[in-house]
Amino acid sequence: MSVGFVGLGAMGRPMTLHLLRAGHRLAVWSRRPASVEPLRAAGAEICATAAAVARQSTVTFTMLTADADLEQVVLGPDGLLAGWAAGSILVDMGTMSPTLTRRLAQRLAQAGVDMLDAPVSGGEQGAIDATLAIMVGGRESVLERVRPLLARLGKTIVHIGDHGAGQVAKACNQMIMVGAIQAVAEALHLSSAAGVDPRRVRQALSGGSAGSRVLDLMGRRMVDRDFTAGVEARLHHKDFHIVSDDAHRLAVPLPVSAPVAQQLNALVAKGWGNCDTSALLCVLESAMGAK
Amino acid sequence: MNIGFIGLGIMGRPMALNLLAAGHQLRVWARRAVSMQPLLDAGASAAGGPADAAADAELVISMVADAPDVEQVWLGEGGVADAGRTGLVGVDMSTIRPAAARDIAGRLRGVGIDFLDAPVSGGEVGAVAGTLSIMVGGSEAAFATAQPAFACMGKNIVHVGDSGAGQVAKAANQIVTGVGVLTVAEALNFAAKSGVDPARVREALLGGFAYSKILENHGQRMLDRNFKPGFKSWMHQKDMNIVMQSAHELGLCLPAAAATAQMYNAMVGSGLGEEDSIAILKLLEQLSGGDH
Repeated sequence: MSVGFVGLGAMGRPMTLHLLRAGHRLAVWSRRPASVEPLRAAGAEICATAAAVARQSTVTFTMLTADADLEQVVLGPDGLLAGWAAGSILVDMGTMSPTLTRRLAQRLAQAGVDMLDAPVSGGEQGAIDATLAIMVGGRESVLERVRPLLARLGKTIVHIGDHGAGQVAKACNQMIMVGAIQAVAEALHLSSAAGVDPRRVRQALSGGSAGSRVLDLMGRRMVDRDFTAGVEARLHHKDFHIVSDDAHRLAVPLPVSAPVAQQLNALVAKGWGNCDTSALLCVLESAMGAK
Repeated sequence: MNIGFIGLGIMGRPMALNLLAAGHQLRVWARRAVSMQPLLDAGASAAGGPADAAADAELVISMVADAPDVEQVWLGEGGVADAGRTGLVGVDMSTIRPAAARDIAGRLRGVGIDFLDAPVSGGEVGAVAGTLSIMVGGSEAAFATAQPAFACMGKNIVHVGDSGAGQVAKAANQIVTGVGVLTVAEALNFAAKSGVDPARVREALLGGFAYSKILENHGQRMLDRNFKPGFKSWMHQKDMNIVMQSAHELGLCLPAAAATAQMYNAMVGSGLGEEDSIAILKLLEQLSGGDH
């Protein structure tokens, strides 16, 4: 199958390499010319525009940062929509708002292009190991056509529902995950304040009912004070804006997620947006220095 | 002064009536024709749309619900900008995002309209009594032109700063009042569930550092269980969302406002949106073991 890929960042790059290794013809485009070089070496065809990628691809993947980026790449000048033939498929694996997703799916349907929202969880490591969890919204028959491709990228592939449903699942994923990071940060911060070694607390908790992947991974980063990203906190900050907007639009109260979003705001204001989200611990510590 | 007035809802109607009563000539427009009648009865003339309301005006005022409405009225098809009135002073008294107000002011400047954001505080009672607080952002010159009209509608009129500054002040106002209504409701619910008369608690607190207008006015209406708006919950929900969006854009930590915004989400979600914001008391009662 001829495959296209737009968005070759920390996540997109290893994903494209998996698709190449599976023997697919792959066309790529990136806004930053430097990002395509590793792909050129691996045998991908480098295109001059997103539209050129679309012209050569039955299935096009996007892995971009935010709503505005996706909208630009799809609908903008020389965008994907300008290149797709009817019957093409867009698989958007970035984390976008359900609202934009539904709007794009409707717009693409008018041009005979099918869309899936297929955001992922698992981070850069999951992308490298091809163990991502993939949450899919859109038509099931379309998912079945691209499932062999998705199977090269992730382990868990779940069809959640209609257009936007994958993004709703991803928003839920972010709420649970970042809420847990905040809880771990608060627990370890309290341990330190009480004069107790947070490293041992974390170790003890890992075996009990509070054990979780977040406690393992982010808890370790916190006690090691290694805040280099895994997942850059600015991305979670962006995702929580989507969550907060949806809560407003749907009139649903989120008593825990809302203050977590405030801590993320503080983290970004501190200039730590490029750090791992485990730096939420540093936000708590910085409040202690308010005097 | 010849004034065009657009938007004649729960707030706009009494504000426009006060301008008429002070002797200004008004040309009014509202989306729903029936809303215009009380103004026509009081001597205003009816406009066919926003551009028509602006045709002979020295000043145009709008009082609508949200940013898309403001944009439509001023810059949409048949909007005030279409009247081609270079040099016109425009005033929007709705509550919208500061960033949206700045954007609209910039685009109107491009067609020669000097635009003020002038949101108000004081609710329907303040609008009727002509005692609103008016928080103004925009140029000194436009403020001077609009000042006589402001004086008919409000008491405490402050030129806060450049475009958007009025909306920033209003967002700050909504943080204080939104959180304030919630804390007064929490305190009175706490007293009642503890088996203590909340009316006496309110009375006692009025003399101390917990005194506020909200404890006095909203607190009394909570005790009276008078949930008639006033200021509808869905509007406060909208305003808290403006606050949270701004916090996200600016990287601000607003823990109390964030928690309060969730309670307003719950109010609208549970069907209390059309009731006054003090119906937040009902939500607390529901979360505290059941009905009153």
